[in-house]
Amino acid sequence: MGKIDIGRVFHALGDPTRRAIVDRLSAAPSSVSRLAEPLDITVTAVAQHLAVLEQCGLVKTQKVGRVRTCRIESAGFDALSGWIAEHRTLWERRLDALGEVLDDD
Amino acid sequence: MTEQSIVHDTFVIERAFAKPPATVFAALADPAKKQRWYGAGHNNMLTFKMDFRPGGAETATYRMGDDTPFPGAELAHEGRLLDIVPNKRVVIASTMALAGHRMSASLYSFELVPTANGTALIFTHQGAFFENADGPQMRKGGWNALLDQLAKDVVAA
Repeated sequence: MGKIDIGRVFHALGDPTRRAIVDRLSAAPSSVSRLAEPLDITVTAVAQHLAVLEQCGLVKTQKVGRVRTCRIESAGFDALSGWIAEHRTLWERRLDALGEVLDDD
Repeated sequence: MTEQSIVHDTFVIERAFAKPPATVFAALADPAKKQRWYGAGHNNMLTFKMDFRPGGAETATYRMGDDTPFPGAELAHEGRLLDIVPNKRVVIASTMALAGHRMSASLYSFELVPTANGTALIFTHQGAFFENADGPQMRKGGWNALLDQLAKDVVAA
């Protein structure tokens, strides 16, 4: 997967249904149909949400036989945490690092 | 109306640490420990020295990275410890200069408050940012943004 477009990541996570999908997949991988059940939406709608999440590297789907399985992908989350780290102020980063130094004690 | 040559700014950051005040204080007082976190905000810290006593000097130098407007330029922090109360507070005054041009003077206060879970650190940054008379309006916001802008002003001067 190429460079992650951070704008797409924010767009993808801006939707509550997609965040619910990410929540579910953070616990365990799932098939598309099982993902659809508790969300009370159609498999087609879930597939559309998954496509958005997959495009920005938050989710990976893989078809094995007739079943499409989805799992969390780290690339999108790495891009997200990288973006946040870069946009914290100098002093916030310093105090983050202070917390890490204290944890080592 | 003439533009002010100094822009003042104050910001406060609070952090909670699950360690007693003495442990947090040690990270402010021990030069080797302080360098580990203080240098973390910059990629290119060249030197760090601290004489941890009231009136003692604190100096740090940095090389501006290739991703900054001034790759290779040296940034120098020259400070003095004004007040130390063990496990309670540290107050430092300092200037920041880019390539020999002083661009800000700041007062950094670290206050440690014991809590049920450890320590609350209250960091207050009070800055006087020197501005070029015809420089662009300084951006409010993050320290990084402010520093970037000051750096631009300095070079335009």
